[in-house]
Amino acid sequence: MEDLLDKALEYAIRKNRFAEVRFFKSEKNSILMKNGTLSGTGYSSDGGLAIRVINSSISFGAINKNKWEDVKDEIDRISARATQKGRNSFSRAKEIRDEWRVEQKKKIEDISFEEKTERLKEVDSMLSEEKMNMRLLSLSDNIERETLLNSEGTRIMSTLPKVGFTFFMAYMEGGNYEQGYFQLGYSGGYEALDYWRLHEVMKHESKVLKNAVKATKLKEGNYDLVIGPEVSGIVAHESAGHPSESDRIIGREMAQAGESFIKEGDRGRRVGSDIVNLVDDPTVEHSYGHYRYDRDGVKARKTYLYKEGLINEFLSNRESAGRLNMESNGASRSSEWDKEPLVRMSTTYIEPRDYSVEELVEEVKEGIYMRSFTEWNIDDIRFNEKYVGREAYHIVDGEIKEVIRRPVIETTTTKFYSSMDAIGKDLDFVAGTCGKGDPMQGVDVWMGGPHVRLRNIFVR
Amino acid sequence: MDIDKIFSRVSMNVDQAAVKIVRTRVEQVRFSNNEIDISNSWNTEGVSIFLAKDGKTFAFDLRNEEQLDRTLNFAESALRNIAKNNDFISLNDRKQTYRKRKSNTVKLTELNPESTVNEFIDDVRPFVKRVGGVLYKKEIENEVKTNFNEGRENVKGIELVARAFNDYNFPAQVSFMTASDSELSGLEESRSELLDFTRKVGRSVEGKDGKYTVIFHPLCFASIASYTIPMASAFQVDSGMSLFAGRMNQKIGVPEFTLYDDPTDETSIGSRMLDDEGTSTRKTAVIERGTVKNLLHNYSTATKSGTESTGNAGIIAPNPWQVLVEPGTEDVSDMISSVKNGLYIVNTWYTRFQDYREGVFSTIPRDGIFRIENGEIKESWSGIRISDSLLNIFRNIQGISRQTRKVKWWDETLPTKSPFVEVSDVNITKSK
Repeated sequence: MEDLLDKALEYAIRKNRFAEVRFFKSEKNSILMKNGTLSGTGYSSDGGLAIRVINSSISFGAINKNKWEDVKDEIDRISARATQKGRNSFSRAKEIRDEWRVEQKKKIEDISFEEKTERLKEVDSMLSEEKMNMRLLSLSDNIERETLLNSEGTRIMSTLPKVGFTFFMAYMEGGNYEQGYFQLGYSGGYEALDYWRLHEVMKHESKVLKNAVKATKLKEGNYDLVIGPEVSGIVAHESAGHPSESDRIIGREMAQAGESFIKEGDRGRRVGSDIVNLVDDPTVEHSYGHYRYDRDGVKARKTYLYKEGLINEFLSNRESAGRLNMESNGASRSSEWDKEPLVRMSTTYIEPRDYSVEELVEEVKEGIYMRSFTEWNIDDIRFNEKYVGREAYHIVDGEIKEVIRRPVIETTTTKFYSSMDAIGKDLDFVAGTCGKGDPMQGVDVWMGGPHVRLRNIFVR
Repeated sequence: MDIDKIFSRVSMNVDQAAVKIVRTRVEQVRFSNNEIDISNSWNTEGVSIFLAKDGKTFAFDLRNEEQLDRTLNFAESALRNIAKNNDFISLNDRKQTYRKRKSNTVKLTELNPESTVNEFIDDVRPFVKRVGGVLYKKEIENEVKTNFNEGRENVKGIELVARAFNDYNFPAQVSFMTASDSELSGLEESRSELLDFTRKVGRSVEGKDGKYTVIFHPLCFASIASYTIPMASAFQVDSGMSLFAGRMNQKIGVPEFTLYDDPTDETSIGSRMLDDEGTSTRKTAVIERGTVKNLLHNYSTATKSGTESTGNAGIIAPNPWQVLVEPGTEDVSDMISSVKNGLYIVNTWYTRFQDYREGVFSTIPRDGIFRIENGEIKESWSGIRISDSLLNIFRNIQGISRQTRKVKWWDETLPTKSPFVEVSDVNITKSK
């Protein structure tokens, strides 16, 4: 099918004022282990031609048939749909000719299924010894290869290997139950397992759940709060990244994931204290959301979403940038080859500053240290949000004391960022699968930040 | 792709094999703020292959047959070297017969997505500030062949979701889906319901936390049901992280509450005649008259539990197909007028659980949150969250309407047919 790329582009150009053709192939391996049983092992090869054309409107089509006649017919159908009444803005972009790849130290291709299974089994056995009664673990890898051509002369080839791990685990003791979930991801090869310190991290998580089932809730009230990088990350993703997506701001996701509390003219509006800088940066090496050029062929770059507490820049693709008379800042992504590119985050984080964790804690008279989270959600304009602690401790007179169970923060975006009075100098990330679009597209992301202190937050 | 050829190639060196081919022909239109944003088209096919040998299993998906030989060598090598899968017993070896589809879908197939959307926008626009949404026209063909069974089915249908903002810039949303020409009038009914909602929604005020009687619109209750029923997958229950773990034959709701997985309703787009291992599908009561009655099984999970497959394979993990909440006898307007201190909630999203075992969750109502006082809708609310548990919801059901809606919205709801449901003492929280 790759051999049809140039021919398909040439044919699509004849019928449209803009055309783009992408050949995409991914090879994915996955292993699923449930309570020690190897429940699923699989391989998936996915790919095809994705064609996007613009005339009176924008039309996107995905086809994985090998015959030229089938592809030609599909281009005819897609082009006919692009003559219907609709929107057709698309910002200008430079012609790019480049090839990029992420290197692997321990190549995915060189690691056997048996070895991967063995590594997962080692983690599972350790968790079993730690008496974690309920365990679902998965390990996966994926190599994506893409060639993008468009009618403006752009031609970009890329190879992007990734490794991912998720756990979903629960512990029960004395009728009490606690569950935990998180995801790790890495662009590169199986050196990821060492990078993650998987064994150590999972052992810690088992202790977190065992401590939590025996813990009690704190009396509800206002507390100072120190959050860890996992919580910083989810907050950055949900209440800075999503509301800064320009397609949400102009209403394109109105019937699905919703819109944004940020409006078109809101650049410069204060949303947090002046120490708050929020970043999205696809160029962070080894991020699960890493890329060098986006799906529109625009070079990726670091973007300050909030700067010194003010709304600074929106994430955009060529479609939304066109509608806002801007240039795209390279945030166009799709989860698979056969989905339309949308405005997406990649690596979203609160920018570190200058405090050590000890310094953050020692200035708290009574507070809560929420190191990680479990249940969370946010409304469809990204303003009212909730985070429930998974690993949390009581802080008394500047010292971390007993474990507390499921503290609940239910607050607003502006209250949260405005309450930040000190930001740590550490920086860590977890991976996530960010959902958006229709059909739903789950894209790989990193989200993170340093430890951060907030004053006077209501906690249930 | 020829399923017979693929099956004969992949089944040569293994004990059992299952091959599924899915061919997709889908047209979609997305629109926002009164205009079409994009037309999307899918013309794809793919094959999923499951192999079992000596108690070990391996599954792979391909987009074309050219890769088959290379991938099969890889799969057979993996099967020699990996550990046994103790979850797998066998594919269903009993000969199956499949229902024949009777739905008429000629008009559905002829529907032009762009024209339909533009007509919808033109009809709604005079009465609202802005409208957006999505329309799908789907045609999906499934073919399954195993050592024991083979079958093929073709599902055609449409889905519409529309969300409109009124002059107060407050949203309302409707959802409609069908796989039958006879129900196409639902498009028009959706339009009327959307306008009715936008007229009901006034300038919204911040909601207040507390315990309220809530009337759940079918779209909202479908969402709750859609998060509940996957937990009845025997795979999920076996993991231990499920509301249904250890609750078989226990009462978890009022006697009026019955929740089915019902792939047999072929007028809905989630209907299926056969599952991924060729078992004929059936209607399964997961909760019957408030009591947990059945889990969702494939052949292996059923055999391990000493029961029969419910036709919900996923060969590794059983899945629900489409949801039916049993209608009641009440009239929805009587239900609303009987509420003294409550809320009527049209939709919800972002449902997340802190405790799957007890079903402790929160979710964020949207697209119509109406305050009811003494039987009358008084105002619109915003900024609230339902923070409660599924067990509380199911045990506090006070009324179920005879009227139903068939909905499917985004990833929040499975294809679902649900009535309006009244629940007392629902815990409402808000940001502080």
